[in-house]
Amino acid sequence: MGGYGDVQLLREDGLRLDGRKLDEMRPMTIEAGVLPAADGSAMVTHGLNVAVAAVYGPMEAHPRKIQRQDRAVIDVRYNMAPFSTSDRIRPGFNRRSREISKVTAEALESVVLCERYPRSKIRVEIEILAAEAGTRCAGLTAAAVALADAGIPMRDLIVGVASGKVEGIVVLDLDKAEDNYGQADLPVGILPNTGEIAFLQMDGDLSPDEYNLAMEYNFKAAAEIHEIMVDALKRRYEGGEN
Amino acid sequence: MVELVPTLLRQELSRLAEDDLRLDGRGQWEGREVTLETDCLYNAEGSAKVVMGDTIVYAGVKFELRTPWPDRPAQGSLMCGAELRPVAHRKYEPGPPSPQSIELGRVVDRGIRESGCIDMESLCIVPGEKVWGVMIDIHVLSDGGNIFDACGLAAIAALRTAVVPAERFDVGEDYTLKVKGTPIMASFTRVGGRYVYDPSEEEELGGDERIHITLGDEGHLHSLQKGLRGVFTPAEFAEIFGVAHLRCVELRKLVANQEGN
Repeated sequence: MGGYGDVQLLREDGLRLDGRKLDEMRPMTIEAGVLPAADGSAMVTHGLNVAVAAVYGPMEAHPRKIQRQDRAVIDVRYNMAPFSTSDRIRPGFNRRSREISKVTAEALESVVLCERYPRSKIRVEIEILAAEAGTRCAGLTAAAVALADAGIPMRDLIVGVASGKVEGIVVLDLDKAEDNYGQADLPVGILPNTGEIAFLQMDGDLSPDEYNLAMEYNFKAAAEIHEIMVDALKRRYEGGEN
Repeated sequence: MVELVPTLLRQELSRLAEDDLRLDGRGQWEGREVTLETDCLYNAEGSAKVVMGDTIVYAGVKFELRTPWPDRPAQGSLMCGAELRPVAHRKYEPGPPSPQSIELGRVVDRGIRESGCIDMESLCIVPGEKVWGVMIDIHVLSDGGNIFDACGLAAIAALRTAVVPAERFDVGEDYTLKVKGTPIMASFTRVGGRYVYDPSEEEELGGDERIHITLGDEGHLHSLQKGLRGVFTPAEFAEIFGVAHLRCVELRKLVANQEGN
């Protein structure tokens, strides 16, 4: 969090720079089954973010040392395309993408019925094609839809959603400027049916009250996003518009 | 299993080839439908998405300021790389760039570079000090066969829509990159003993060597590549060259039409 106080992020009328209300998220679209080569896939556009997830497996787990005798492991790779950001990113893994991959995998392992597939591996590939703040949440949402699209049994979907703080005010779904100059960011992965949380990160500065409000915004948005996810899966399998 | 499936597939492909048939019902020189979308990615200075059957490829162009090579002080540079990310197929694994992806990137790079469609001197800002480096990154998202042609098409289409971000780097006003031609690649794989244009995933799995031909606007050759194990005759090349010529003209029109929109 930059936390620089000299950049104005809220307008005189109380709305945000892009005209959104405090608890309004950027527009989101989700499509399931976008990659023919994959066992399951999804594309999420969220504001200007574009995240694609592919699922392969369950398949034999290798290298052998990652194998678990009692359950499947989920192998997640979160990767940003070199052209996804303002300055080109050198291809390959970095510390940030490794960490996001790890916590995303752990979140997905919390909902997938891994014990159905002992000694196997489920590969989840998340590719960020365009980034405008909030890519880990878009990636997590895409991964959940892709797993469902692959027919892998899950206790629930996971919805990736974030709130944060700009100019001392809690807002839902930070955009690029708000992420760069805001004071806090709280990305979470919510199980929409049970209301549990499988993914949690935060940086910046939030009071307990601000945390509660940010979470309230997150849960409200998660319900909205959940409908979009379900709709994407229905369109894929009920022969709707597609 | 690794050996068994291709063996059965090879037999089937040979049987079909005898009757001049292909697995998906196409003619020998018939390509799959191609859709092209440009300017589709925020943050990329030029971008394109190509869908060819089950193959999906994105290309994005980025610019950076750099000091020129000492032996070419008044020229910018062009680099084209392809990544076969594990997202694209279960056969791709994470790790450093594979020989396959290096070959792919370099064949596409040569076709664009050697066609001379980018005037390297126009990328110079201050001779000996500051030039533009143009980077084309190709991202294969779904490998449904013939990723070479899809990558070549995405790369040139993205390049042709690129806007030089001069304002962001404080070196003047943004302007559209000048690209003087549209080099197009056409690829052939030997399947069941004869060449076919635009191989599918199964045809590649049960096929032999492949040949990639990149042609410029005037029909001149700008890059050739033979890959995998196998040999071909001059007569075979002459035949596929004729097909490549026709197909490249069609695909060049597709790029032009997309720009016209």
